[in-house]
Amino acid sequence: MTDTVDQEFRADFVEIAAHRYREGRLSRRGFIAALGALGVLPMMGRGAMAQAKELVIVNWGGTAADVIKEVLGDTYTAATGMPVVIDGSGPSAGKIRAMVESGAVVWDVCDSGPGSAIILGEAGMTQEIDYSVVDKSKVIDGATWKYGVGNYVYSYVLASNPRMLGGNVPQTWEDVWNVKDFPGMRTFRKSVRGMLESATMAMGVAPENVYETLGTQDGIDAAVDKFRQLREHIIVWGSGSDSQNLFLQEEVSMGNIWSTRAHLLKDEMDADSFTVTFNGGVISPGVWVVPKDNPAGTEEAMKFIAFAQDPELQVKWLELIGSGPVNPAAAALVPENLKKWNPSSPENLATQILYNDEWYAKYQISAEEQYVDALIN
Amino acid sequence: MTPGLLTDRHRYWLLILPALLVMIVFYIWPLVNILGISVTEPEPGLGNYTLLATSHPIQTSFIITFRVAAITTAFCLVLGYIVSYAIYNASQRGVGLMVALVLLPFWISVLIRSFSWIVLLGRSGLVNDALMGMGLIDRPLRLMHNEFGVLIAMVHVMLPFAVLPIMANMKGIDRSFVNAARGLGASEWTAFWQVYFPQTKPGVLSAALLVFVLSLGFYITPALLGGGRVLMISEYITYQIQEFLKWGTGTMLSVTLLVATGVVILAAARFVNLRRAFLERG
Repeated sequence: MTDTVDQEFRADFVEIAAHRYREGRLSRRGFIAALGALGVLPMMGRGAMAQAKELVIVNWGGTAADVIKEVLGDTYTAATGMPVVIDGSGPSAGKIRAMVESGAVVWDVCDSGPGSAIILGEAGMTQEIDYSVVDKSKVIDGATWKYGVGNYVYSYVLASNPRMLGGNVPQTWEDVWNVKDFPGMRTFRKSVRGMLESATMAMGVAPENVYETLGTQDGIDAAVDKFRQLREHIIVWGSGSDSQNLFLQEEVSMGNIWSTRAHLLKDEMDADSFTVTFNGGVISPGVWVVPKDNPAGTEEAMKFIAFAQDPELQVKWLELIGSGPVNPAAAALVPENLKKWNPSSPENLATQILYNDEWYAKYQISAEEQYVDALIN
Repeated sequence: MTPGLLTDRHRYWLLILPALLVMIVFYIWPLVNILGISVTEPEPGLGNYTLLATSHPIQTSFIITFRVAAITTAFCLVLGYIVSYAIYNASQRGVGLMVALVLLPFWISVLIRSFSWIVLLGRSGLVNDALMGMGLIDRPLRLMHNEFGVLIAMVHVMLPFAVLPIMANMKGIDRSFVNAARGLGASEWTAFWQVYFPQTKPGVLSAALLVFVLSLGFYITPALLGGGRVLMISEYITYQIQEFLKWGTGTMLSVTLLVATGVVILAAARFVNLRRAFLERG
């Protein structure tokens, strides 16, 4: 537990330092010093000894690192003879940038997000994905970019506890805002990410029009106002584990949480006391990026990404940590009992919308301000 | 330079120097930087500070902070006074044990104490379970994830800070004044209220100051038990810096909180002899 928390804490501070560096408010020397002070630099340097005869895959640590090692790393080594090293130190955009600019790149393939992938690519920090090796058709629509390609997906979903609700399960966000028929506390994230979308749908806006509605100040005001109306019934979650605890301790009867946490909860709670619906969910992909001048070379990195598109491996990933396959072909291979929990199954995809990074780049900060105001007054 | 050239005065300064350097490097200098950022980001000027007048969430957060601190202080004073009185006046035996019990919570971190309250106050926590088991309530009470829960836990954490100054003060009070008043025909209540209580005022005031000032900067307990809706300023600062990456606003809030706390202490200095309250306690 402590380990993960610490990891997140560090990741966050590195993000901040990187952000300030990007904005030019922290000198390059200051940035490196900050990383050093946080103890991150030694972690970055750990692979410095790495020979080109291995492939370094970087993700955010924790269980996911073990799963990548087991599901992707070991199988890749078995298939190609290339040793794979997993580095769980968190490949934030800032760290990738610092590494590329310092000319000491030790990472080959990094688990990033759409926003970071676009920013890094435009800044010339990452390589173009070679779509002659990586197969575009093995990625769901909307999860391929010039400088990055989807590797898995997760969703913001409506989770509920049928037992606390007397079996009356909310099916739509409108139900979540209906406190008369659906009693109990609700939980929403401490940030607008994935949350304003549900409030917008609760206003009766069709899923495909959500970001259009939120594209105007009136739309944002209206969505925030929905939270103002509901706030007496809201407990806020800060971290993924918060959201999990709120359900485990039956503090809340429903809420908007990550599908990966829901995946854990379904195993930890009785079958009749936890369920999710992907109806009105917001789906968001994780993205592989390849830093410029990666030690193992472009070809090897692309080969690995293509290898990881294997649907069977992606299903394995879903079974172990709940992140959904990004390859549409994987859906058919998902075991029957997991289909309902798979964010990228065709029936679940049909009812969700894709997380819109452009919207967040433009409106997030001002919307966060309003969101906090709505919740605390 | 021989030691003989140093006057006593210089030597004392030399002794202070290491601590002073640590303070300057790790406290004063960062603080100056914080102040600097608050007037330079996102652009030079007092733009961040105008938010105090215009930003609704910031104003609300300050109101919540001062309200929670004030209520916590009030409860701590009443409870702390009773505890101290009981220790020094009601019982003659077991004073040491009782003082030890007051100090006991200091052995456990605030984080763990706050988590314990989650176990106790939760929807299916011990308190709700017990009340439901006894048939006193038929559905769980909302004891936490609101201001009520935050107050319970904060009073718990702060209580020793109220007890200690009051106790120190009571320890120095001579019972014979009260006995004399009783001997002269005052009722027990009059003797307490007119003779004993005025003598404890310095202790009560320094307890109030201590608890209030510490409560203003509280972070862990409201963050854990407030359910995200009791957003005190220190949590809001974290929010600004970590979530929104708005260093300007975050540092402005820090400076404002520091100034507000300073103002409280200065105002209190009119009523409390600070030197006595903090340096010559006990």
